[in-house]
Order: sequence, then structure tokens, then C-alpha cells
Amino acid sequence: MQPIIFLLLVPVLLILQSTALNHIVLYGIKPDFLLILVILNGFLRGTREGAFLGFLAGVIQDMAYGGYFGLNALTKMAAGYLAGLGEGRLYRDNRVIAAGLTWVCTLGAQLLFYLLLLLVDIQVPMVTALVHIILPAAFYNALVVLIIYGFYCRFCSNSPARKGEYFNP
Amino acid sequence: MSRLSAGKGLFLLGILVVVILAGLHFSADDAGELTPLESTIRDVLAPVQRVVMVVGDKVSDWVSFPARLYNVSRHNRDLEQQVVELEGKLSDYNEIRAENARLKEQLDFKTGLADQVTMESAEVVGRSADDWFGSILINKGSASGIQTDMAVVTPSGLVGRVTSVSKHTAEVLLITDPRSGVGCLVQESRAPGIVEGVAGGMRVVHMVHIPSDLAPEKGDRIVTSGFGSVFPKGIPVGTVQETHKEESGLFKMAVIKPFVDFNRLEEVLVIISANPGGA
Repeated sequence: MQPIIFLLLVPVLLILQSTALNHIVLYGIKPDFLLILVILNGFLRGTREGAFLGFLAGVIQDMAYGGYFGLNALTKMAAGYLAGLGEGRLYRDNRVIAAGLTWVCTLGAQLLFYLLLLLVDIQVPMVTALVHIILPAAFYNALVVLIIYGFYCRFCSNSPARKGEYFNP
Repeated sequence: MSRLSAGKGLFLLGILVVVILAGLHFSADDAGELTPLESTIRDVLAPVQRVVMVVGDKVSDWVSFPARLYNVSRHNRDLEQQVVELEGKLSDYNEIRAENARLKEQLDFKTGLADQVTMESAEVVGRSADDWFGSILINKGSASGIQTDMAVVTPSGLVGRVTSVSKHTAEVLLITDPRSGVGCLVQESRAPGIVEGVAGGMRVVHMVHIPSDLAPEKGDRIVTSGFGSVFPKGIPVGTVQETHKEESGLFKMAVIKPFVDFNRLEEVLVIISANPGGA
């Protein structure tokens, strides 16, 4: 996927995230499509591109919603980097592997989010955070990837992005 | 010869016409009655007619089947179109009816509190994108007189407070957000405490720092205390589900089930100004 398409998708997913996705909330948790995009992009493109585009996506989210600037930028950058570690090491044509990687990366990103919340003096009990947010979100995101990974791969394979590296930060 | 024959023919034709006219004249008097001959002919022909009619119908059916099939298909399409349109209208009708009920409830609520507060109704147009925070975006802002730290309610109870405002939108921090804290009272015992949000999808809030000797019981109602300048006194918040001792051991805490269903918020009321003494 070309970075420009990735960046165009970010505001679209953010709008969906705050509106339509509220109809598929389960126990107060909804899938984070932006995080999923960052993870899958990192998985297919590697650590550098994954982290960089994850950072950009997070910055856009932080700017769009105000509040604590950098919270999403850092967590999504970490998620993109973490997912990028799987590139070249994990079999990318298997949706179960992609879902598993999404589960791990969401877990990592959400744990980092939790630590950053402590930095801004927002106290959430660890058990509450784990049981009611982090683990359900990780499972929900993994489930979504299990369903959409085929479409995502087809979409990316139609894109000329796979033909070469687009930038070298 | 030819002139004689022609005259004969005309004469016979004239007689025939006269006979028919005479028969017509006499038969007109008793048209309802059949002559024996007519009756017999009808009786004999009736079964034959019936068979011919049935066969004819069958043949006609068979021949006209494709045409009728086409017509039925077209009619079916028309009916399907009508069904879709009617379903759409029914859906609109149900939506309008539900909205009407909600607005009526709001109107009753506003009318009931009219002496005490001035309110602006607004629609919820968005929610926080992540699972950690609880905030909503409403479609009224500074242009409608909304400012930060105004309380937001529904007819059911307290929703939260305005935290940021643009010209036509405002962000509302829900009482379920971990950053939220609201001074409250147990309505029955008047025990004070602070209602704090719990992160994530938990549909409860916690009331902390309740004096141990005034611990609430299950089912007690929690209302805002009016301490501070954000929330007017007496807005219902929720009911007590269970109570625990705080870690410090000095106070009690209670798990509160809010009256408001935060997952189904569609319209809210922003309290523009509160006049406790009445207008």
C-alpha cells in the first residue's frame, strides 16, 4: 500500500471509529481499525515503514481528537514497529498468523498506552485495564484481522506499493 | 322471365320479413319464457358448451401463459418496489415515533425544571475513538451559548460536563471517564462522596471517600451534591450496586450503576445556566 493511500485511509478510519463502529461495540469495546491498519502495514512493510507510518497515523489521531498529544503517536509507532518485526520472519499469507500478530501487537500497544496514562496521572487499576480493555481489545482486533486479512492482502497486492521501497527515513 | 323471377323473389323476401317481424312482435311479449324447442336445444348444448369453454380456457391459458408470466413478473417487481418503499416509510415512521418519544420525554423534563435551569438540547454526533476514554461530541457549540464546564444531562440523569467547545460542536467528558470526578450525595443518608469514572467498557462508576458510618446500601440513589460550580444539586446519577471498604480503611466506596445508558446516547441537554431559587 502506498504511503499516500495509507495516510488518506487514516482520517476515513478515524471518522468510522468515532461514529459507525459504535454499532459493533461488544462489552464496551470496539475494534481499533486504525491500529489494525498500522499493524498490517508494519507486517507487510517492515519495522522502519511500520513505525514511521504508525507514528504519522497516531499524530493525525492526536491532532484530530485533542487531549494528550503524543499518546496515540507513540503507541501506534510502537505497534507498527512491533508488527514490522514479523516481516520476513513470519509467513505473511496465513491469516491466522496475521491475527496472532495483531493480538500481540495490540496487547503491546495497549500496555504502552496504559503506562503513558500513568505518566499523565490517569490512574486505572491494572486488573481493570487488563480484563476490561487490553485483552478484549486484543481479541477483537485479532478477530477483525481474521476476517478482513484476505481483502487487505488483495487490496495491497493490487497496489504498486509492493514493487519497491517508497522512502528511506 | 327474368322480370317474373325477380318479382317472385322480392315477394318471398317481403313475406319472410313480415313473418320475422310478426314473430318478433309476438315473442317480445313473453321474452322470459322459453319455447320447448329452445329449452331442448339449450339443454343439449349446455354440456358441450361447458366442455368447449373448459378446453378453450385451458388453451387460452397455455397460449397466454408467457404473456401472463411477463405481466405477473412485472407486477411482482412493482409490488416488490412498493414493499421496499413501504418498509422505508415504516422505518422512517418508527424512527420518528422513537424520536418523538425521546423529545417528549426531554420536553417534560425541561418543563419540569424550567424554573431552575436553562437548557440547550443537542445531538450526539461522535464518540471517543479509543476504548480508554469516555467522551462524546455534540452538535452544538459556542454559537449556541455552550461553554466549558457546563453540565450535560438527559431525562434519565447525569451525563457529564463540557470540556472543550468549538463554534458548532462541544466535547463532553462522560462521568464514566477515568478523568471525571463529580461531587455526589447518597440521597437517603446524605452521605457525601465523589463519583469517579472507570475506564473501558464497564458500565459502572465508583463513588469513593464515603464516610464509613454512612455507608450506603444496595439500591440507594446517588445524586449530585451541588458542591463546586459545575453540576447543579440534585441531578440523579445512579443506584448503588455494592459497597466495599477502601484500601486506606478510612472510607467506604460504592459501585454505582448509572441511570443513563451511555451506549445509547442520542440526544442530551446542556445546562446553560442554573437558578436554584427559580426564575
